Amino acid sequence: MLDAFSRTVVSADAKGAAIGSEDLADLRKYVADANKRIDATLAITQNVSCIAADAVAGMVCENTGLTQPGGHCYPTRRMAACLRDGEIILRYVSYALLAGDSSVLEDRCLNGLKETYLALGVPTSNAIRAVEIMKIATVAIMTETNTGRKMFKGINSGSGAQCQDIAAEAASYFDLVIEALS
Amino acid sequence: MKSAVTTVVSAADAAGRFPSISDFESVKGSFDRAKARLEAAEKLASCLDKFTNLAVDAVYQKGSYDQANKDKCVRDIHHYLRLINYCLVTGGTGPLDEWGISGMREIIRIQLLPTAAYIEAFIFIRDEIEINDVMSQQAETEFKGLLDYLINALA
Repeated sequence: MLDAFSRTVVSADAKGAAIGSEDLADLRKYVADANKRIDATLAITQNVSCIAADAVAGMVCENTGLTQPGGHCYPTRRMAACLRDGEIILRYVSYALLAGDSSVLEDRCLNGLKETYLALGVPTSNAIRAVEIMKIATVAIMTETNTGRKMFKGINSGSGAQCQDIAAEAASYFDLVIEALS
Repeated sequence: MKSAVTTVVSAADAAGRFPSISDFESVKGSFDRAKARLEAAEKLASCLDKFTNLAVDAVYQKGSYDQANKDKCVRDIHHYLRLINYCLVTGGTGPLDEWGISGMREIIRIQLLPTAAYIEAFIFIRDEIEINDVMSQQAETEFKGLLDYLINALA
Protein backbone atom coordinates (compact mmCIF):
# COMPACT_ATOMS: atom_id res chain seq x y z
CA MET A 1 0.00 0.00 0.00
CA LEU A 2 1.27 3.45 -0.88
CA ASP A 3 0.39 7.01 0.04
CA ALA A 4 1.23 10.28 -1.70
CA PHE A 5 4.71 10.28 -0.09
CA SER A 6 5.69 6.70 -0.77
CA ARG A 7 4.31 6.92 -4.32
CA THR A 8 6.86 9.69 -4.96
CA VAL A 9 9.59 7.57 -3.38
CA VAL A 10 8.79 4.50 -5.48
CA SER A 11 8.84 6.46 -8.72
CA ALA A 12 12.08 8.26 -7.73
CA ASP A 13 13.71 4.94 -6.89
CA ALA A 14 12.79 3.57 -10.30
CA LYS A 15 14.89 6.39 -11.74
CA GLY A 16 17.60 5.99 -9.09
CA ALA A 17 17.38 9.69 -8.30
CA ALA A 18 17.01 11.55 -5.03
CA ILE A 19 13.82 13.53 -4.49
CA GLY A 20 14.52 17.20 -5.14
CA SER A 21 12.60 20.46 -5.14
CA GLU A 22 10.40 19.77 -8.17
CA ASP A 23 8.90 16.55 -6.85
CA LEU A 24 8.47 18.05 -3.40
CA ALA A 25 6.11 20.78 -4.63
CA ASP A 26 3.17 18.36 -4.93
CA LEU A 27 3.87 16.88 -1.52
CA ARG A 28 4.03 20.32 0.07
CA LYS A 29 0.58 20.96 -1.37
CA TYR A 30 -0.63 17.66 0.09
CA VAL A 31 0.70 18.67 3.51
CA ALA A 32 -0.76 22.18 3.22
CA ASP A 33 -4.16 20.71 2.32
CA ALA A 34 -4.08 18.14 5.12
CA ASN A 35 -6.86 19.79 7.10
CA LYS A 36 -9.19 19.92 4.12
CA ARG A 37 -8.36 16.32 3.32
CA ILE A 38 -9.24 15.23 6.82
CA ASP A 39 -12.50 17.18 6.70
CA ALA A 40 -13.41 15.72 3.33
CA THR A 41 -12.73 12.21 4.65
CA LEU A 42 -14.92 13.01 7.64
CA ALA A 43 -17.68 14.07 5.24
CA ILE A 44 -17.69 10.47 4.01
CA THR A 45 -17.28 8.69 7.33
CA GLN A 46 -20.01 10.70 9.05
CA ASN A 47 -22.55 10.00 6.31
CA VAL A 48 -21.71 6.46 5.22
CA SER A 49 -25.07 4.81 5.85
CA CYS A 50 -26.90 7.72 4.33
CA ILE A 51 -24.81 7.76 1.15
CA ALA A 52 -24.95 3.99 0.69
CA ALA A 53 -28.67 3.70 1.47
CA ASP A 54 -29.57 6.56 -0.86
CA ALA A 55 -27.51 5.10 -3.67
CA VAL A 56 -29.07 1.65 -3.36
CA ALA A 57 -32.55 3.14 -3.01
CA GLY A 58 -31.94 5.27 -6.09
CA MET A 59 -30.75 2.25 -8.03
CA VAL A 60 -33.90 0.32 -7.05
CA CYS A 61 -36.23 3.23 -7.86
CA GLU A 62 -34.84 3.37 -11.37
CA ASN A 63 -35.26 -0.38 -11.69
CA THR A 64 -38.26 -1.42 -9.60
CA GLY A 65 -38.00 -4.98 -10.87
CA LEU A 66 -34.95 -5.45 -8.64
CA THR A 67 -36.98 -5.85 -5.44
CA GLN A 68 -39.75 -7.94 -7.03
CA PRO A 69 -39.57 -11.73 -6.70
CA GLY A 70 -36.94 -12.89 -9.16
CA GLY A 71 -35.14 -9.52 -9.03
CA HIS A 72 -31.54 -9.23 -7.98
CA CYS A 73 -32.33 -7.43 -4.70
CA TYR A 74 -34.95 -10.01 -3.68
CA PRO A 75 -35.16 -11.32 -0.95
CA THR A 76 -33.96 -8.80 1.63
CA ARG A 77 -30.81 -10.80 2.28
CA ARG A 78 -29.55 -9.80 -1.16
CA MET A 79 -30.60 -6.20 -0.66
CA ALA A 80 -28.63 -6.19 2.62
CA ALA A 81 -25.56 -7.54 0.77
CA CYS A 82 -25.92 -4.66 -1.65
CA LEU A 83 -25.98 -2.06 1.15
CA ARG A 84 -22.99 -3.72 2.77
CA ASP A 85 -20.98 -3.57 -0.45
CA GLY A 86 -21.83 0.10 -0.86
CA GLU A 87 -20.37 0.78 2.57
CA ILE A 88 -17.27 -1.29 1.82
CA ILE A 89 -16.60 0.70 -1.35
CA LEU A 90 -17.05 3.94 0.59
CA ARG A 91 -14.62 2.69 3.21
CA TYR A 92 -11.88 2.04 0.66
CA VAL A 93 -12.56 5.36 -1.04
CA SER A 94 -12.14 7.07 2.35
CA TYR A 95 -8.79 5.27 2.84
CA ALA A 96 -7.61 6.31 -0.62
CA LEU A 97 -8.67 9.88 -0.01
CA LEU A 98 -6.83 10.05 3.30
CA ALA A 99 -3.69 8.51 1.79
CA GLY A 100 -3.89 10.66 -1.34
CA ASP A 101 -3.24 7.59 -3.47
CA SER A 102 -5.49 5.00 -5.08
CA SER A 103 -3.31 1.94 -4.41
CA VAL A 104 -5.22 0.80 -1.30
CA LEU A 105 -8.52 0.98 -3.18
CA GLU A 106 -7.16 -0.86 -6.19
CA ASP A 107 -5.22 -3.58 -4.33
CA ARG A 108 -7.69 -4.37 -1.59
CA CYS A 109 -11.10 -3.61 -3.07
CA LEU A 110 -11.21 -3.43 -6.87
CA ASN A 111 -8.77 -6.22 -7.69
CA GLY A 112 -11.06 -9.10 -8.70
CA LEU A 113 -14.28 -7.30 -7.77
CA LYS A 114 -15.81 -7.55 -11.23
CA GLU A 115 -14.98 -11.26 -11.45
CA THR A 116 -16.54 -11.82 -8.04
CA TYR A 117 -19.72 -10.03 -9.06
CA LEU A 118 -19.92 -11.97 -12.31
CA ALA A 119 -19.47 -15.25 -10.45
CA LEU A 120 -22.16 -14.31 -7.92
CA GLY A 121 -24.53 -13.14 -10.64
CA VAL A 122 -24.58 -9.50 -9.49
CA PRO A 123 -25.61 -7.25 -12.40
CA THR A 124 -22.63 -4.90 -12.79
CA SER A 125 -24.67 -2.27 -14.65
CA ASN A 126 -26.80 -1.76 -11.55
CA ALA A 127 -23.76 -1.80 -9.28
CA ILE A 128 -22.18 0.90 -11.46
CA ARG A 129 -25.33 3.02 -11.18
CA ALA A 130 -25.21 2.76 -7.38
CA VAL A 131 -21.53 3.83 -7.38
CA GLU A 132 -22.40 6.78 -9.63
CA ILE A 133 -25.03 7.94 -7.16
CA MET A 134 -22.56 7.54 -4.28
CA LYS A 135 -20.07 9.65 -6.19
CA ILE A 136 -22.58 12.44 -6.80
CA ALA A 137 -23.79 12.36 -3.19
CA THR A 138 -20.26 12.34 -1.76
CA VAL A 139 -19.13 15.29 -3.89
CA ALA A 140 -22.29 17.23 -2.99
CA ILE A 141 -21.76 16.64 0.73
CA MET A 142 -18.06 17.52 0.57
CA THR A 143 -18.63 20.75 -1.30
CA GLU A 144 -21.79 21.56 0.71
CA THR A 145 -23.84 21.77 -2.47
CA ASN A 146 -26.37 19.18 -1.30
CA THR A 147 -29.96 20.26 -0.77
CA GLY A 148 -31.57 19.68 2.61
CA ARG A 149 -29.79 19.55 5.91
CA LYS A 150 -26.12 20.43 6.42
CA MET A 151 -24.16 17.21 6.32
CA PHE A 152 -20.60 18.56 6.26
CA LYS A 153 -19.18 19.06 9.73
CA GLY A 154 -15.59 20.05 9.13
CA ILE A 155 -13.46 20.20 12.24
CA ASN A 156 -10.57 22.05 10.62
CA SER A 157 -11.24 23.95 7.44
CA GLY A 158 -14.76 24.99 8.40
CA SER A 159 -16.35 25.10 4.98
CA GLY A 160 -17.12 22.57 2.29
CA ALA A 161 -16.59 25.17 -0.42
CA GLN A 162 -12.85 24.95 0.36
CA CYS A 163 -12.87 21.25 -0.42
CA GLN A 164 -13.48 21.51 -4.19
CA ASP A 165 -10.11 20.06 -5.20
CA ILE A 166 -10.30 17.24 -2.70
CA ALA A 167 -13.88 16.47 -3.79
CA ALA A 168 -12.64 16.20 -7.38
CA GLU A 169 -9.99 13.78 -6.18
CA ALA A 170 -12.64 11.72 -4.36
CA ALA A 171 -14.72 11.67 -7.56
CA SER A 172 -11.70 10.25 -9.39
CA TYR A 173 -11.59 7.34 -6.93
CA PHE A 174 -15.27 6.58 -7.58
CA ASP A 175 -14.47 6.71 -11.30
CA LEU A 176 -11.84 4.03 -10.71
CA VAL A 177 -14.52 1.84 -9.12
CA ILE A 178 -16.83 2.40 -12.08
CA GLU A 179 -13.99 1.65 -14.47
CA ALA A 180 -13.15 -1.57 -12.64
CA LEU A 181 -16.75 -2.77 -12.88
CA SER A 182 -17.24 -1.79 -16.53
CA MET B 1 5.37 0.97 2.20
CA LYS B 2 5.24 2.04 5.81
CA SER B 3 4.48 5.68 6.51
CA ALA B 4 2.29 7.48 9.04
CA VAL B 5 -0.74 7.31 6.77
CA THR B 6 -0.40 3.75 5.52
CA THR B 7 0.10 2.46 9.07
CA VAL B 8 -3.17 4.07 10.13
CA VAL B 9 -5.03 2.85 7.05
CA SER B 10 -3.72 -0.73 7.44
CA ALA B 11 -4.86 -0.84 11.06
CA ALA B 12 -8.30 0.52 10.18
CA ASP B 13 -8.64 -1.92 7.30
CA ALA B 14 -7.63 -4.89 9.47
CA ALA B 15 -10.44 -3.96 11.85
CA GLY B 16 -12.83 -3.25 8.98
CA ARG B 17 -13.65 0.21 10.26
CA PHE B 18 -13.63 3.69 8.85
CA PRO B 19 -10.76 6.00 9.83
CA SER B 20 -11.58 7.41 13.26
CA ILE B 21 -10.86 10.74 14.93
CA SER B 22 -7.76 9.33 16.61
CA ASP B 23 -6.54 8.08 13.21
CA PHE B 24 -6.95 11.59 11.83
CA GLU B 25 -5.05 13.00 14.75
CA SER B 26 -2.10 10.70 14.25
CA VAL B 27 -2.03 11.54 10.53
CA LYS B 28 -2.19 15.21 11.36
CA GLY B 29 0.62 14.85 13.88
CA SER B 30 2.89 13.46 11.20
CA PHE B 31 1.97 16.33 8.88
CA ASP B 32 2.96 18.85 11.52
CA ARG B 33 6.50 17.49 11.32
CA ALA B 34 6.39 17.20 7.55
CA LYS B 35 7.64 20.72 6.86
CA ALA B 36 11.00 20.08 8.50
CA ARG B 37 11.25 16.64 6.91
CA LEU B 38 10.60 17.91 3.41
CA GLU B 39 13.06 20.73 3.87
CA ALA B 40 15.72 18.26 5.01
CA ALA B 41 14.96 16.03 2.01
CA GLU B 42 15.24 18.93 -0.41
CA LYS B 43 18.53 20.22 1.00
CA LEU B 44 19.98 16.74 1.26
CA ALA B 45 19.11 16.07 -2.39
CA SER B 46 21.09 19.14 -3.43
CA CYS B 47 24.10 18.22 -1.25
CA LEU B 48 24.11 14.49 -1.87
CA ASP B 49 27.31 14.43 -3.93
CA LYS B 50 29.06 16.94 -1.73
CA PHE B 51 28.34 15.06 1.51
CA THR B 52 29.34 11.74 -0.05
CA ASN B 53 32.67 13.01 -1.36
CA LEU B 54 33.57 14.88 1.81
CA ALA B 55 32.86 11.85 3.98
CA VAL B 56 34.58 9.26 1.80
CA ASP B 57 37.63 11.46 1.26
CA ALA B 58 37.96 12.01 4.98
CA VAL B 59 37.70 8.30 5.75
CA TYR B 60 40.06 7.11 3.01
CA GLN B 61 42.63 9.87 3.65
CA LYS B 62 43.61 8.11 6.86
CA GLY B 63 44.94 5.21 4.84
CA SER B 64 43.57 2.50 7.08
CA TYR B 65 41.39 1.10 4.30
CA ASP B 66 42.26 -0.37 0.91
CA GLN B 67 42.07 2.47 -1.63
CA ALA B 68 40.73 0.04 -4.25
CA ASN B 69 37.45 -0.02 -2.42
CA LYS B 70 36.99 3.73 -2.44
CA ASP B 71 34.81 3.91 -5.55
CA LYS B 72 32.47 1.23 -4.24
CA CYS B 73 32.29 3.05 -0.96
CA VAL B 74 31.34 6.29 -2.75
CA ARG B 75 28.64 4.43 -4.66
CA ASP B 76 27.18 2.86 -1.52
CA ILE B 77 27.29 5.98 0.65
CA HIS B 78 25.55 7.84 -2.15
CA HIS B 79 22.95 5.07 -2.28
CA TYR B 80 22.32 5.19 1.47
CA LEU B 81 22.01 8.96 1.49
CA ARG B 82 19.44 8.66 -1.28
CA LEU B 83 17.49 6.18 0.85
CA ILE B 84 17.68 8.62 3.77
CA ASN B 85 16.27 11.24 1.40
CA TYR B 86 13.37 8.84 0.72
CA CYS B 87 12.87 8.21 4.43
CA LEU B 88 12.69 11.95 5.04
CA VAL B 89 9.95 12.13 2.42
CA THR B 90 7.87 9.22 3.71
CA GLY B 91 8.33 10.14 7.35
CA GLY B 92 9.21 6.57 8.32
CA THR B 93 12.17 4.22 8.03
CA GLY B 94 10.44 2.11 5.35
CA PRO B 95 12.77 2.79 2.39
CA LEU B 96 15.92 2.18 4.48
CA ASP B 97 14.48 -0.98 6.02
CA GLU B 98 13.18 -2.43 2.80
CA TRP B 99 15.87 -1.40 0.34
CA GLY B 100 18.95 -0.70 2.44
CA ILE B 101 19.08 -2.71 5.62
CA SER B 102 17.54 -6.09 4.96
CA GLY B 103 20.18 -8.20 3.25
CA MET B 104 22.77 -5.45 3.65
CA ARG B 105 25.23 -7.32 5.85
CA GLU B 106 25.33 -10.22 3.41
CA ILE B 107 25.95 -7.96 0.42
CA ILE B 108 28.70 -5.99 2.11
CA ARG B 109 30.41 -9.12 3.36
CA ILE B 110 30.31 -10.91 0.02
CA GLN B 111 32.00 -7.94 -1.65
CA LEU B 112 34.67 -7.95 1.08
CA LEU B 113 34.00 -4.30 1.85
CA PRO B 114 34.80 -2.88 5.29
CA THR B 115 31.57 -2.04 7.14
CA ALA B 116 33.65 0.04 9.54
CA ALA B 117 34.50 2.48 6.74
CA TYR B 118 30.80 3.03 6.08
CA ILE B 119 30.11 3.65 9.72
CA GLU B 120 32.98 6.11 9.93
CA ALA B 121 31.71 7.94 6.86
CA PHE B 122 28.22 8.32 8.30
CA ILE B 123 29.58 9.41 11.65
CA PHE B 124 31.69 11.96 9.79
CA ILE B 125 28.58 13.31 8.06
CA ARG B 126 26.73 13.42 11.35
CA ASP B 127 29.44 15.04 13.47
CA GLU B 128 31.94 16.85 11.26
CA ILE B 129 30.02 18.39 8.38
CA GLU B 130 28.38 21.74 9.12
CA ILE B 131 24.87 20.62 8.20
CA ASN B 132 23.55 23.76 9.83
CA ASP B 133 24.90 25.81 6.94
CA VAL B 134 22.49 24.23 4.50
CA MET B 135 19.39 23.41 6.53
CA SER B 136 17.47 24.62 9.56
CA GLN B 137 17.83 23.21 13.05
CA GLN B 138 14.63 21.14 12.87
CA ALA B 139 15.50 19.72 9.46
CA GLU B 140 18.94 18.83 10.77
CA THR B 141 17.40 16.95 13.71
CA GLU B 142 15.27 14.86 11.34
CA PHE B 143 18.29 14.11 9.14
CA LYS B 144 20.57 13.18 12.04
CA GLY B 145 17.89 10.93 13.53
CA LEU B 146 17.92 8.85 10.39
CA LEU B 147 21.73 8.86 10.23
CA ASP B 148 21.77 7.48 13.79
CA TYR B 149 19.25 4.84 12.81
CA LEU B 150 21.43 3.73 9.90
CA ILE B 151 24.64 3.77 11.95
CA ASN B 152 23.01 1.56 14.57
CA ALA B 153 21.77 -0.82 11.91
CA LEU B 154 25.24 -1.09 10.37
CA ALA B 155 27.12 -1.49 13.61
